[in-house]
Amino acid sequence: MTGRTRNFYLIPYAAWMLLFVAAPIALIVYYSLFDIEGKFSFTNYQKFLSPIYLKMTLYSFWYALLITLFSLLVAYPTAYALTRTKHKQLWLLLIVLPSWINLLLKTYAFLGLFGTYGLTNAILETLGLGTHQILFTDFSFIFVSVYIFIPFMILPIFNALEDMNSSLLDASRDLGASAWITFRRVIFPLTLGGVKAGCQAVFIPALSLFMITRLIAGNRVITLGTAIEQHFLVTQDWGMGSAIAVVLIIVMALVMIATGERKRGVKDA
Amino acid sequence: MRSRNGTPANAYLFVVFLILYAPILYLLFYSFNSGGTMHGFEGFTFEWYQEVFQDTRLFVIVLNTVVIALLSAAISTLFGVMGALAINRIRRRRNRNALLTVNNVLIVSPDVIIGASFLILFTMAGIKLGFISVLLSHIAFSIPIVVLMVLPRLREMSPTLIDAARDLGASGWYVLSRVVLPFIRPGIFAGFFMALTYSMDDFAVTFFVTGNGYSTLSVEIYARARHGISLSINALSTLIFLFTLALVVGYYLMNRRGNRRPGWGAPLP
Amino acid sequence: MNKKPIIRFENVTKQYDGETILNDVSFEIESGKFYTLLGPSGCGKTTILRLIAGFTEPTEGHIHFRGKVIDRIPANERQVNTVFQDYALFPHLNVYENVAFGLRVKKWKKPDIDAKVKEALRFVNLEGYETRAISEMSGGQRQRVAIARAIVNEPEVLLLDEPLSALDLKLRTEMQYELRELQRRLGITFIFVTHDQEEALAMSDEIFVLDHGIIQQTGSPTDIYDEPINRFVADFIGESNIVPGRMIRDFLVEFAGRTFECVDGGFSSDEPVEIVIRPEDLEITTPDRGKMKVRVDSQLFRGVHYEIIGYDESGNEWLVHSTKRVNVGAEIGLDFDPEAIHVMRFGETEEEFDRRLEAYESSESGGAST
Repeated sequence: MTGRTRNFYLIPYAAWMLLFVAAPIALIVYYSLFDIEGKFSFTNYQKFLSPIYLKMTLYSFWYALLITLFSLLVAYPTAYALTRTKHKQLWLLLIVLPSWINLLLKTYAFLGLFGTYGLTNAILETLGLGTHQILFTDFSFIFVSVYIFIPFMILPIFNALEDMNSSLLDASRDLGASAWITFRRVIFPLTLGGVKAGCQAVFIPALSLFMITRLIAGNRVITLGTAIEQHFLVTQDWGMGSAIAVVLIIVMALVMIATGERKRGVKDA
Repeated sequence: MRSRNGTPANAYLFVVFLILYAPILYLLFYSFNSGGTMHGFEGFTFEWYQEVFQDTRLFVIVLNTVVIALLSAAISTLFGVMGALAINRIRRRRNRNALLTVNNVLIVSPDVIIGASFLILFTMAGIKLGFISVLLSHIAFSIPIVVLMVLPRLREMSPTLIDAARDLGASGWYVLSRVVLPFIRPGIFAGFFMALTYSMDDFAVTFFVTGNGYSTLSVEIYARARHGISLSINALSTLIFLFTLALVVGYYLMNRRGNRRPGWGAPLP
Repeated sequence: MNKKPIIRFENVTKQYDGETILNDVSFEIESGKFYTLLGPSGCGKTTILRLIAGFTEPTEGHIHFRGKVIDRIPANERQVNTVFQDYALFPHLNVYENVAFGLRVKKWKKPDIDAKVKEALRFVNLEGYETRAISEMSGGQRQRVAIARAIVNEPEVLLLDEPLSALDLKLRTEMQYELRELQRRLGITFIFVTHDQEEALAMSDEIFVLDHGIIQQTGSPTDIYDEPINRFVADFIGESNIVPGRMIRDFLVEFAGRTFECVDGGFSSDEPVEIVIRPEDLEITTPDRGKMKVRVDSQLFRGVHYEIIGYDESGNEWLVHSTKRVNVGAEIGLDFDPEAIHVMRFGETEEEFDRRLEAYESSESGGAST
């Protein structure tokens, strides 16, 4: 196109960026620098460095890591199996379909499923394992989170597997590699981009969950997300909430940079 | 490969599907339970559905949700298409990637942070929390999704197609309306559809920025679920499930007729 | 020759991101002829086409169309149409609507559009394909749709950007005939871009050979083939033997350690030059009867001929096309006519070349030619 044509589409789009991307981030940084009395200070960040918040951060990371790991463990074989089915697109649609059902409803369903008299306990009872307290445990929290996030892990991995040239597998087998070696040396490295995209799509939201922690974990698990919600909507300490959010944003940026750069590296190789 | 790995792979897929659909089916099943709990099916009843249909407050909330979803999807599609066109026009790779990175900030940001920062934004701007703030938020977080759905289609379009149209005498607006927009239509539909589902699915952002009694379904379900199990939620979820199913099937058929790959191969968060 | 040019490039330079794509190019295009812009990829040939079409503007210089400067006139207001390399057919429109596109833009009346589109489709032998989707058409058919879509607008100049490159060999040859025929029937100017020298030689009235953003040589196919101006043209058009030599005086040249009679002149004496001899102009004979002795290094059977590579005593490589078979390792003689020797001056421009050619040709025929 000629240099004369002005990119006027940029105007509304740039306005959106300014108003709803740049401004909110700037505001949240700004607010994090004021204590609850509205005085400029770094007390919020000092508070964040106290054992309570550090421990909470650590737990948050630990849970997010577990959720990501379990999601990956379930999702990879699922995606792999999906690529081998006859009507791939249909099966994929069926996998993705539940993710389009309101998150709250699915979470709510687990209140019933995991309840004292719910289906899970009924099954355990039949198997002679007895009734257990499932709701409001770490297990239920991680299980439900994995359940919610799994489609987001399956999709990028499935796409990466689909993008892979199938003759590469033949080539690997032809060169004498066993199925396992082929997986380890060819398939997995080639789908690493998808795995990273999936991990990114799970880890960051998992770090900031608050709805599931409230409904399923019954406030037993406090994550960074829960803390932000608490400060903003319950205690009205926006400064502290903003400070936690700023930390979360920084962590998020670091995760993005780390996974993003390595993804580029894989592409170049 | 298939014959060797077929059975265990399919069995695994079957289990994954079972777990993915179990909570949904569980909800559906108990929505007909006259017993009033999510265990011990006592008898078949439509009582809960009646309750849903007689609940005028719920009706208003459903209406709110649909209005917000349709309006925000339409407006964000408009902005998103312009954004995609703007990004596509940028020649320098680095500038384009920089813009895309900013575009993706809201997609990768945890809902809690979006919600919290928007809450600050609206408060600072003096916008009353309620319909407007919720609508603006939904538009804001849907725009980057639309951009991401439209952009690949736009990149797919050979630049000679635009040259050809201009060569045949078409002016800027004619090229846009008769060549570019028809070509990227599947992307626009996909973007609109995604925006629609994101809006209807959103809980966290709405939870933060709503106020003055204005509520959407997600927020309402959360509020009710915190009070414990009520089978009218089950009935409601059955209805939502059917609605989602109809939406997805409709979208799928529309794509099939348009002879295009369905859009869910594309990015989810 | 006195006809007014339809398109004129006046010292056109095109730079893109600081890189010079076209360097001070000037030429004229006459009405009703088949022109070919020939050159390797990146030589600037497509840029010339895009400048004429109006997809890009010259950095310096001017483009004239029928005497008027059109540098800043956008593509949609120009009297030229393009057939694109990838055809650029609109995938969301059927054959009919693709062809009708330009007429709809001009807001023609329905019956007029209908008549015109049908006529254009008949012209390219695609009657009855109106309602087909583009995706249902073969490569050759798409090609025809693209042509019909362009000619329906009755352009004065049709630009064709490597339109045959996506077709297979057989179809390509077929389309070469068809395009040439189409140009004759329409009587409009065709400007055809290609990197395929055979295509250029087969179809054109006039060929522009381009390299590194400069027009190296302009001329009819036979001119360019027989009288390449420099090493690049000689190498790019057909296969050639290019060896260093020395011009002793007019019509006497030395190369490969011997002197030969030739038909070129206008050089200073003892000027170093380059000699071009086409492989098909070399005839194999016995070593004692040939003008030159060559030892055969390798031989390939090419169907219509053998391709033989040998080396003379000075180490020059000679490529010979012959219907005769030889033995690898044997010594053979090469015979050729004085006319087969083409002498090239180093760094000679086209104008200098033409002037020199005219000078010695007139001196040779005793000033009889005009």
